Amino acid sequence: MAEDLNWAVGGEAGDGIDSTGKIFAQALARAGRHVFTSKDFASRIRGGYTAYKIRTSVNKVQSVVDRLDILVALTQRTIDENLDELHEGSAIIYDGERSWDAEIPDEMTAVDVPLKSLAEEAGGAIMRNIVALGAACEITGFDVEYLDEALEKRFGGKGSKIVENNKEAARAGQEYVQENYDLDHLGYNIDTTDNDYVLLNGNEAIGMGALAAGCRFYAGYPITPATSIMEYLTERIEDYGGHVVQAEDELSAVNMSLGAARAGARSMTATSGAGIDLMTETFGLVATSETPLVIADVQRSGPSTGMPTKQEQGDLNMALYGGHGEVPRFVVAPTSITECFWKTVEAFNLAEKYQTPVFLVSDLAMSVTEQTFPPEAFDMDEVEIDRGKLVEDDEVDEWLDAQGHFRAHAVTEDGVSPRAIPGTTDAAHMSTGLEHDELGRRTEEEDERVHQVDKRNRKVETAQNEEDWDYREFGDPDADNLIISWGSNEGALIEALDYLEEDGIDVRVISVPYIFPRPNLTEEIEAAADTIVVECNATGQFADVIEHDVLTRVKRINKYTGVRFKADELADDITDKLTEEVPA
Amino acid sequence: MSSDVRFTDFKSDKQPTWCPGCGDFGTMNGMMKALANTGNDPDNTFVVAGIGCSGKIGTYMHSYALHGVHGRALPVGTGVKMARPDIEVMVAGGDGDGYSIGAGHFVHAVRRNVDMTYCVMDNRIYGLTKGQASPTSRSDFETSTTPEGPKQPPVNPLALALASGASFIAQTFSSDAMRHAEIVQKAVEHDGFGFVNVFSPCVTFNDVDTYDYFRDSLVDLQEEEDHDPTDYEAAKEVILDSDKEYQGVMYQNENSVPYHEQHGVTEDMSEIPDGAPEDAMDLVREFY
Repeated sequence: MAEDLNWAVGGEAGDGIDSTGKIFAQALARAGRHVFTSKDFASRIRGGYTAYKIRTSVNKVQSVVDRLDILVALTQRTIDENLDELHEGSAIIYDGERSWDAEIPDEMTAVDVPLKSLAEEAGGAIMRNIVALGAACEITGFDVEYLDEALEKRFGGKGSKIVENNKEAARAGQEYVQENYDLDHLGYNIDTTDNDYVLLNGNEAIGMGALAAGCRFYAGYPITPATSIMEYLTERIEDYGGHVVQAEDELSAVNMSLGAARAGARSMTATSGAGIDLMTETFGLVATSETPLVIADVQRSGPSTGMPTKQEQGDLNMALYGGHGEVPRFVVAPTSITECFWKTVEAFNLAEKYQTPVFLVSDLAMSVTEQTFPPEAFDMDEVEIDRGKLVEDDEVDEWLDAQGHFRAHAVTEDGVSPRAIPGTTDAAHMSTGLEHDELGRRTEEEDERVHQVDKRNRKVETAQNEEDWDYREFGDPDADNLIISWGSNEGALIEALDYLEEDGIDVRVISVPYIFPRPNLTEEIEAAADTIVVECNATGQFADVIEHDVLTRVKRINKYTGVRFKADELADDITDKLTEEVPA
Repeated sequence: MSSDVRFTDFKSDKQPTWCPGCGDFGTMNGMMKALANTGNDPDNTFVVAGIGCSGKIGTYMHSYALHGVHGRALPVGTGVKMARPDIEVMVAGGDGDGYSIGAGHFVHAVRRNVDMTYCVMDNRIYGLTKGQASPTSRSDFETSTTPEGPKQPPVNPLALALASGASFIAQTFSSDAMRHAEIVQKAVEHDGFGFVNVFSPCVTFNDVDTYDYFRDSLVDLQEEEDHDPTDYEAAKEVILDSDKEYQGVMYQNENSVPYHEQHGVTEDMSEIPDGAPEDAMDLVREFY
């Protein structure tokens, strides 16, 4: 497993850490290598430690591990923050000419490169990170020409001069290491392949899924870590005749999206926990007015402002139960970056088929992580659109009452009513968050109330029967040990299987992308000797619902440090947990 | 859109539960007349309302409509208009709904200049919750929650609109039916955000801002004064005049370009392809 290389660049926010990391990640992807990236960042614009980490291999990589091989350190803190992960074979690239006195542990390879001076010679100090990338190529034996391609992609728009200068800076770094050190690539073997990979993160996949699914309107308010969905769509949605509005707040964002949805557009908003709080009142309106709306919650550490730039899966209860009264809804939680794409497409279909709010629950780890995939993983030909019971002009008659009023909230067997968008002839009607009759008009009549509540809840029952609320499975299907997970933990779990196998421990992993409705896991849990639910929160919110479904106690692994699970760490946790008594 | 639409086509067969004599009857009739006079019909009209007595309007009118949550009618209207530039959007609100809980949305809908008409039924009191002070209540207006008056100046919605960069500002009196309908029609015809503050007296809880009071005090800017609504300075003067109450069009920017046009939104967003768009694989390839 040491086939993989773990690389990082770290410094202060504002040092261009992100773009440096991204360029290197793209170069590796261009070389047909798998890449998995992660970020450490603080909630500030300038200053404060920030790092971009890359794990790369010719084999698929889908998690982070506790090991760092090559570190480009622009500050001392970058070294200090990563001491736990650095090891005897690690190399640290730093600029000895800078004012700080780098403290590099003796057993590690110190690679002192005059990053700033070499960059200045190549055309500007700003390129010191690119010099470091050239040095990193030389240390690992990675062909610097792949870096050229990434530089062209990054700076091509700024003119050939800039591109050439950057290439020169990379060469300067490479040559400096060649001339001053005899490292023999530290034994790393950066193989390349002919594979073409795309490199993207979870939020980009959500935005791409939205466009593929026909989303034409998006309103949102900037909030970490959901904003990049809005940024993605802002740049592209107009090519498809759509529009993004940066609203004045989350209340406005969700109501604008609701308005566009009622007007017939596939519409979406996205936010993170604190923003969901503000939108919650409107969920009830979305549900009772039976408006199809996709609401994405890219979770971060709460409660309150919590740790805005840190990972957590703490909003599950809110997605399931948030809002006053009883609100029928669907909660879909992608388990990987490709699933971010496909579940977004599915969320739009579910929303229109059942005319309900659909929560698309992702998390910070998935939103900022970039990973390589073959482009076919996002095969657009596979995208299907189901607009549900959208009535055309010539179908309106079927749904009129004796007085000629359109029954927009008609009580039907499957709970789904006809849907007419503005402009449909003779189907004008109102909808409201007040309890209403079939025409959408306010009522407090007892039977009507019960009919409408039952009708709305029946949509969930219908969907429960008609849709596939499946799960993904990994590991040994016959193993006695069952691990259940949701959200972004899937990748780390799959890689943890390898570590466990080395120790002779067989496990079966079930990764659940549907929180409500969700697959019934009774048989699976009853067949297992031990069941452990893995999630990034303190109280085990998913474990609670599983226990409730199955009426059996399960073991729990909870991480709420603000950092996602690492594959090797998770394998250790599982090993420990298996020897524990099941709670009474 | 058909030419033989009458304003009664916008009326639903539901009997309003507003108190007899409520100003909202007149306000609504004027809105319906304005819609019919501008060639709209119920099938191409969307009415959004918030909460309170004003919020009931969606039930009493006949059109596509949404009755939403308190204070958020303007964002809903914005969403409808952006998705469907072909649809006529009319938003109704109250002084509490629009200037208290929804004040933030008001400022931003105004500055976006979304092409819709916003009629606020301003009765200077909370009626549906049985008589508490509203943002436009006078500072000495005694109510159950302000026994000695709010002791704070009322919001001047016209000034708030002007400061937010409004392109159309008007004020009407629901009882002056002809003028009210005529001015709302101008708001509908305006390319951009047509804001009309409507004095719509509450006969049950407000014994100060009554029909008689408005009848006696209102000065009509166009009929009695020689006010030019395209003159920004003149508009500022009447809007900030605290000695008199006016009706009429205070301000209209003739060069107004509505939000959707500024952003090049022309398409009907309800039309989407059957599967992913033809060139959608380009979305994937850009991540190479």
